[in-house]
Amino acid sequence: DGQRLFSIAVSRVQHLHLLAQRLFSDFESSLQTEEQRQLNKIFLQDFCNSDYIISPIDKHETQRSSVLKLLSISYRLVESWEFPSRSLSGGSAPRNQISPKLSELKTGILLLIKASEDGAELFPDSSALQLPPYGNYYQSLSADESLRRTYELLACFKKDMHKVETYLTVAKCR
Amino acid sequence: MKKAVELVLLLLLLFFTPHIMGKRYSPPGKPTLTRCRSPEKETFTCWWEPGSDGGLPTTHALYYRKESSERVYECPDYHTAGENSCFFNKNDTSIWVNYNITVVATNTLGSAFSDPVDVDVVYIVKPNPPEKQTVTIMEDKGWPFLRVSWEPPQKADTRSGWITLIYELRVKLEEENEWEMHLAGHQKTFNIFSLRSGGKYLVEVRCKPDHGFWSEWSSTSYIKVPDYFHREKSVWILLTIFSAFIFLILTWLLHMNSRSLKNCILPPVPGPKIKGFDNQLLKNGKSDEIFSALMVSNFPPTTSSNYEDLLVEYLEVYVPVEQELMQEESKDLHGGCLKCERSTSDSDSGRGSCDSHTLLMDKCGETKEEGRHTDRASSRMLTEAQRHQKGWEKDTLTYAHGDMVSPDMSNGRVKTWPSVFSPLPQYSSNPLDKQSSLEMAKQHCLSTSSCLTQPGHSTKEALGPSNWDFCLGNKQPHLLHPQTQVGRQLQAHSEVNISNIGRKQAPAGLQSPALRSTEYVEVQRVNEEDLVLLQPVVSGCGRIEGYPQMPKGKDYSKVKGVDSDNMLLLQREVMEEDWWTGNCYTSSTVNTTQKPTACIHTAMPVQGDMALAMNGYVDTATMCTLPTC
Repeated sequence: DGQRLFSIAVSRVQHLHLLAQRLFSDFESSLQTEEQRQLNKIFLQDFCNSDYIISPIDKHETQRSSVLKLLSISYRLVESWEFPSRSLSGGSAPRNQISPKLSELKTGILLLIKASEDGAELFPDSSALQLPPYGNYYQSLSADESLRRTYELLACFKKDMHKVETYLTVAKCR
Repeated sequence: MKKAVELVLLLLLLFFTPHIMGKRYSPPGKPTLTRCRSPEKETFTCWWEPGSDGGLPTTHALYYRKESSERVYECPDYHTAGENSCFFNKNDTSIWVNYNITVVATNTLGSAFSDPVDVDVVYIVKPNPPEKQTVTIMEDKGWPFLRVSWEPPQKADTRSGWITLIYELRVKLEEENEWEMHLAGHQKTFNIFSLRSGGKYLVEVRCKPDHGFWSEWSSTSYIKVPDYFHREKSVWILLTIFSAFIFLILTWLLHMNSRSLKNCILPPVPGPKIKGFDNQLLKNGKSDEIFSALMVSNFPPTTSSNYEDLLVEYLEVYVPVEQELMQEESKDLHGGCLKCERSTSDSDSGRGSCDSHTLLMDKCGETKEEGRHTDRASSRMLTEAQRHQKGWEKDTLTYAHGDMVSPDMSNGRVKTWPSVFSPLPQYSSNPLDKQSSLEMAKQHCLSTSSCLTQPGHSTKEALGPSNWDFCLGNKQPHLLHPQTQVGRQLQAHSEVNISNIGRKQAPAGLQSPALRSTEYVEVQRVNEEDLVLLQPVVSGCGRIEGYPQMPKGKDYSKVKGVDSDNMLLLQREVMEEDWWTGNCYTSSTVNTTQKPTACIHTAMPVQGDMALAMNGYVDTATMCTLPTC
């Protein structure tokens, strides 16, 4: 049942988003004010690792996209975070739970894709192409910038999770 | 020259004019962005606060930059959202994109930049309040409740799922101050129960997106609950009437059965009823009649009449060869003591004098004296007394059992202690013997008493009354029946022993148990040396094994006779062995001789056998009831 699958996926991604939010706010509160300002400035110049994935950025675009497209985008987004989520800092249990949850969510989205029409066509084993060109992006950074890296990670993760949540919700209501 | 001066003057004027005017122009102050909000996640607005304008007309401009792009845009719309605001329409709004917004204030003298603010539209959503709110009263099985329903704000696109909202409502009575909050979740209707009849309620609703801010409260809806108290009232009225009815019935029932109930709950306390006591008389207040009514004609027992004679006159005793201890002082003593005894038997007599040891002692002393002088008479009396022995059944005339000198001879009873009484083989009274026995008894008494007192017996006084009892244990060993001498020895022995005994234990060997004033010794046997071996009996339970149970009751010893020493010899009837079950005898053995026939009567609670025959029996154990174990 499509609706049931959607509901499950939506609830899972909502949970992930909440986790991401909590992680980010915890991190931010642990920063000094000085650092916070600097990070804010810096962040604008950098970009998330998932920026290569073209995704609708407003409602109009989103509504214009098909369910399948939305699902595929969501899938890619989730996939892109599978690996980096392991290095998410936080020092608490949620960090360890994120990666498996992402995997589960990915599976769920895949199911949804297959359940919808034209699903099989969209994935001609293109996962290889989807690997981020900056696969080692985060590893390349030096240790001095770990703080900045953490901030970026958390902010990007939070944003991406919200994206997926929105897309799935829209797709579900379609 | 003139021109130069004019120029200078002009310049000066220019400069000074503002100074004279008191005004200063300065570049504008720094503006600040106060907030940015998006009502539906499709557009957003930012507001700022201008700083000081520096006295000059100042203009403000908002510039923003999208993330990862250096291009600077200016605010597309300054007017839609009001003053000092910038409205970003759909086309200009991008979700999940960081906006870096700055406001610049400019006047002729300069400009000022505000601090930049980063905005992500997703996180600044604050929807409009819910709309089309309705409140209606509905009924659930006669009980009303409120149903509140609303619509999401128009702009928010919840249908497509672009934005999801959760709702919250609050209710309160008009006169109250505190709101009652209810979280409604994603639903758009809500029911409120437990309403106050006739109350007026206020209802408000608000909403919030998944990640965003709460909206403002919607406009208030008023609703008045109709009165349903009327219906409640009728029920209460019915209930009241019904309960009143029940109550009346119960009252009537109670009234009908009041008497029996009273008896059941409060049973009447039985009042004291004295036979012959007439309450009416008491009420009338004539004491004479009352007390006369109380008096029973034949109280005290009529047999006492015989006793009277006996007491006053003589005591009939046997005077066998052996000494029987017959107190003729015993007579008097008896009389006195008997009287006392009798009186003491009446615990209510109030004649405490007889209960006091000292008094008895005095009496005994007196009687002794008198006794001496009245030998003759006493002998006669003794004979008669003996005859009347029958009548003595229960009386405490002669106590054959010695009670013991115990400090707490509270009863003060006179107890005889025919400890070494020898059995009286016959009842025949020999006047002479009697006399002698009486004398002897007297002397015994005296001696005994002296004997007893000599050792400095602690319980001298206590012994007083029983002194003559101890006459039994007198010097002269006449007690033994067959052999006088032996008996004498026995007597002496016993006397000494008794005295010893008495000495040993403070309240004397013949100590009474705590509760009773009598001590009992159990004669174990009589050995060949004519020694009666007495055995202390375990208090209360002293029964020699094998010995038949003695029927409890009056303990009697048969008066065998009065020996030459004027001692009353009591005989135990059944003579298998010299076994007496004594109670709680704590003394050492008193040796007596003679087995077969010499029945030495100790002051026992001679039980059973002795008590059987009434004739010629003296109650040896009147005073000593069975000691409590």
